[in-house]
Amino acid sequence: MTSSTAPATLKQRRATFLAGLILLQALCALFFVGDVVRDLREGTHLDDIHLMLESIAAVSLIGGVGFLMIELRRLLARMEHMDAGLRVAQGQMVIVMEGFFDEWHLTQAERDVALMILKGLDNDSIGTVRHTAPGTVRAQAAKIYAKSGTNGRAQFVSIFMEELMSGDFNTSDPA
Amino acid sequence: MMSVSKHTTNGRDSARDVAVWDPLVRLIHWSLASMILLNGAITDAESDLHQWVGYVAIALVGIRLTWALVGPRPARFVTFPPSPMRAWRYVRAVLAGDRTVHLSHNPLGALMVYNLWLTVIALGMTGYMMTTLRFFGIGWVEQAHELAFDWLLFSVALHVGGVALDSWRSGVNLVRAMVTGRKAIPKGTKLE
Repeated sequence: MTSSTAPATLKQRRATFLAGLILLQALCALFFVGDVVRDLREGTHLDDIHLMLESIAAVSLIGGVGFLMIELRRLLARMEHMDAGLRVAQGQMVIVMEGFFDEWHLTQAERDVALMILKGLDNDSIGTVRHTAPGTVRAQAAKIYAKSGTNGRAQFVSIFMEELMSGDFNTSDPA
Repeated sequence: MMSVSKHTTNGRDSARDVAVWDPLVRLIHWSLASMILLNGAITDAESDLHQWVGYVAIALVGIRLTWALVGPRPARFVTFPPSPMRAWRYVRAVLAGDRTVHLSHNPLGALMVYNLWLTVIALGMTGYMMTTLRFFGIGWVEQAHELAFDWLLFSVALHVGGVALDSWRSGVNLVRAMVTGRKAIPKGTKLE
């Protein structure tokens, strides 16, 4: 499951950075607005150059905050879109796997083992997870390779990769 | 498939992570909490620092309110309208054993959110009034400021209690969600 979030981390960092920038800039805007208000209360007039510059700074900072908010909103929407795309791909992958497993007439235990092989677990870990001896796992793996007509782990995994990478790619651009 | 995914790598497959709180919401939440803590417990009420911390708190609420208009779905007003009716229905459903998980604030929590924002705004306004010549030293303004603070303390206690209660009830760690932005939804729970 962690792998599903991995491609998004750069975008996530960007989003966090943007959020921090929005806060910081908004607080700067607050500082200038506060200063302008205080100057006005003390009876300075708008034609004072200092006050005018301060007002311009306040307005542009507030404008910047608005712009950054829209930018962050867009970034978050893109991230969500990518997340949804990944979920669709994961759903399709399950269908592809089930299809192959059915075709090869794998038993329930073999399906479990095959799935864990695809997830990258080695035989020892599979044995630990399933509470079976390493020998059992090796036998089951051998059975799986035989049924799928492959000569080992690498070739077995490549069947699924190939299935994902072949075919026409005219799905819409995720960005 | 169910039987397969039940015992995979580390059991994390039994829950699915859903992104709910964006980084701006989280930053504002924890910043506002710190400002309240600062002004409630640490800064001297007569000091300039107390005033600035108060203005920052107001600004934080201001940004959050703007974000509730332009931000992503879970952060928006429309996702958690202030509705006592919905809150009441929610309370009854919970008492009846309903375990629906709300992706944004739950209807009762939503009321607390609005309450906290309004209280912070009231504190900021009465606090600001005390700095003006017109209202300086006027009794009711000061009393209103102190009353608002008492109400805020009470509300924060309720807020923390509510978070603990709802985390325990729904099995979703709400504090973690406000830190990482993601809610780990237990398998088989209804979402809203």
